[in-house]
Amino acid sequence: MKRNLITLITGAVLIVIFVLLLFTFQVRQSEVAVVTTFGRITGPPCEPGLHLRWPWPVQQVYKFDERIQNFQEKFRETLTADQISLITSIYVGWKISDPSAFLNSFKDGSVIAAQSQLESLLASDNITVVGKHPLADFVNVDPQQLQFDQIQMEMEQMVQGELQTNNYGIQIEFLGIQQLGLPESVTQAVFDRMKSERNILISRAQNEGQAEAIKIRANADRQANETLADAQAEATRIEGEGVAEAAKTLPVFQENPELANFLLSIDAIKQALNQRSTLFFDDRIPPFDLFHGTLTNPPSH
Amino acid sequence: MNDEHDHHDSAPEPPVTPMAQEDASSQALAEALRSSFAIVKFVMVALVVIFLGSGFFQVGTQEKAIILRFGKTVGQGQAALLGPGLHWSFPYPIDEVVKIPITEIQKISSTIGWFAETPEQELSGNLPPPGPSLVPGVDGYVITADRNIIHTRATLYYQVDDPIRYVFGFTSASNTIQSALNNALLDTAARFKVDDVLYGDVAGFQEAVQQRVSDLADQEQLGITVKQCSVESIPPRQLKDVFDQVTAARQNQNKVLDDAHSYENQATNSAEAQASTIINQARSARTRYVQSLQADAKAFSALLPNYEINPGLFRQQELVQVMGQALTNVDFKTYLPTTANGKPIELRLLLNREPPGPKTGAAGP
Repeated sequence: MKRNLITLITGAVLIVIFVLLLFTFQVRQSEVAVVTTFGRITGPPCEPGLHLRWPWPVQQVYKFDERIQNFQEKFRETLTADQISLITSIYVGWKISDPSAFLNSFKDGSVIAAQSQLESLLASDNITVVGKHPLADFVNVDPQQLQFDQIQMEMEQMVQGELQTNNYGIQIEFLGIQQLGLPESVTQAVFDRMKSERNILISRAQNEGQAEAIKIRANADRQANETLADAQAEATRIEGEGVAEAAKTLPVFQENPELANFLLSIDAIKQALNQRSTLFFDDRIPPFDLFHGTLTNPPSH
Repeated sequence: MNDEHDHHDSAPEPPVTPMAQEDASSQALAEALRSSFAIVKFVMVALVVIFLGSGFFQVGTQEKAIILRFGKTVGQGQAALLGPGLHWSFPYPIDEVVKIPITEIQKISSTIGWFAETPEQELSGNLPPPGPSLVPGVDGYVITADRNIIHTRATLYYQVDDPIRYVFGFTSASNTIQSALNNALLDTAARFKVDDVLYGDVAGFQEAVQQRVSDLADQEQLGITVKQCSVESIPPRQLKDVFDQVTAARQNQNKVLDDAHSYENQATNSAEAQASTIINQARSARTRYVQSLQADAKAFSALLPNYEINPGLFRQQELVQVMGQALTNVDFKTYLPTTANGKPIELRLLLNREPPGPKTGAAGP
């Protein structure tokens, strides 16, 4: 009897497990599931957790990844409003927003089918939006005129709108341009232009440098001359000051101008006969006047 | 049905085995069954223990873990994150453990703006030989605000700070981040001039790229924090020479300007020095002049009383003194006595230019 009980419990556990496997399913975090009964969608999409179901062939469970998927478009050549050929590549972050609609739109909810649908939408919208803008909206020195963000937004809105109208159950989370290029033949022309721009810069650097240097040197010379001239003027002024100050001593000399003149003459003689001079004198000049009349060597006629 | 029929047919056959033998064999069978059942029980208990024991798992220092019970996260928000240590969960298929690297800094590179390069070429630092043009899809580049083509690549370092969003929000968060980085490079280049990207404002460009990626990460709610972004930009290989020439010309320009500035400094400084010399000389000349006059005036005042006593004598005395002094300094002294008839001796001098040297040209009588 005891043996039977254990057998029974074991059997029951096994049956429960088997039944659970048949009648339940798990939805993983980041997933969403749609249940179809005899091919028709029944009930709202299932949130993550454990759910009940009828086994196949009554009900079928389709699980979808609810996360944001990154899709990158291939290169596409488009024409801007000013007829310049651009090569662009767009990336989008998209996700399944309505699993039921998604399952209805794509066979067995195939993500690959959805992506190819998305790609064709992107392609046409890319061409449309780029065609509305000149190249200056894509690249511009002036941030006011640059419309990079607006262009991306326009594309996003356009794709979003089309996805909604067609009720694909897909939603765009973000969209951006991830490559912007020019056709191969154009790159060569751009290189030529860049080269000539560089050459202009080279000659400009050379000439501007020289011109500026000359200016700096001339300015320096002028400044130096001005400084010197100012100094000369100052020196003259100082000299004048000296003369004015000296004039104060004049009244002293006026007490006896005769003596003053005599002293000046004496000074002058001292200065004049200071060195390397040859002096001729006769006996009328003191102190040699002492020789007068005492000739030792009288001339003989 | 056939089987049953056969069985029915065989039933009335007489038993072949004896009763005692049957008892012994069934006992042995029961014994065997019992012991084997014990083994099965033991194995089952062991299995259950192993099953439950397999629920232990370890979380490293640089990661967090999330338990999914029947696919649903256990706990909400930050509470769902299990830190480092030993943890236990129900084994599969009840629970599932998802581990997420978190503190570790992750990196991702964008090469949409870079030319095709093999890893060997990159390691050796040799650039692949340039072709005449750039092939779309092979040679990446970006277009600057002034419509120049340049190559630029970026490496982004980031940290996951919302692991739940990072893992359960995106099929491939790193791909999404890379796309955002690509977009940031493109968008930022479209705002900068070529010379700013390459030379003038390299740091500014890098900062702008980083800012843009951060903004995109916030907008797209990637659940990451941008730590750092390093950007490298070069002119197209096809135009390397001219770009280098511009750099050289600019350096030369700077050198020429530096020279001019140093000349300027020198010129103004020496002028200042000269000017101060001139002024100082003037000052000292003034002082000397005034002082000598004052000294003269003093001497004059001292001499005046003597002079006034006997002007003739005073003059004579002074003159003789001066002559005495003067004569000691004079090189050639020639005395010409008066002739008997009272006429002075006639003297003819041949005056030459003074020859160099200490000699003085003078003629005797």
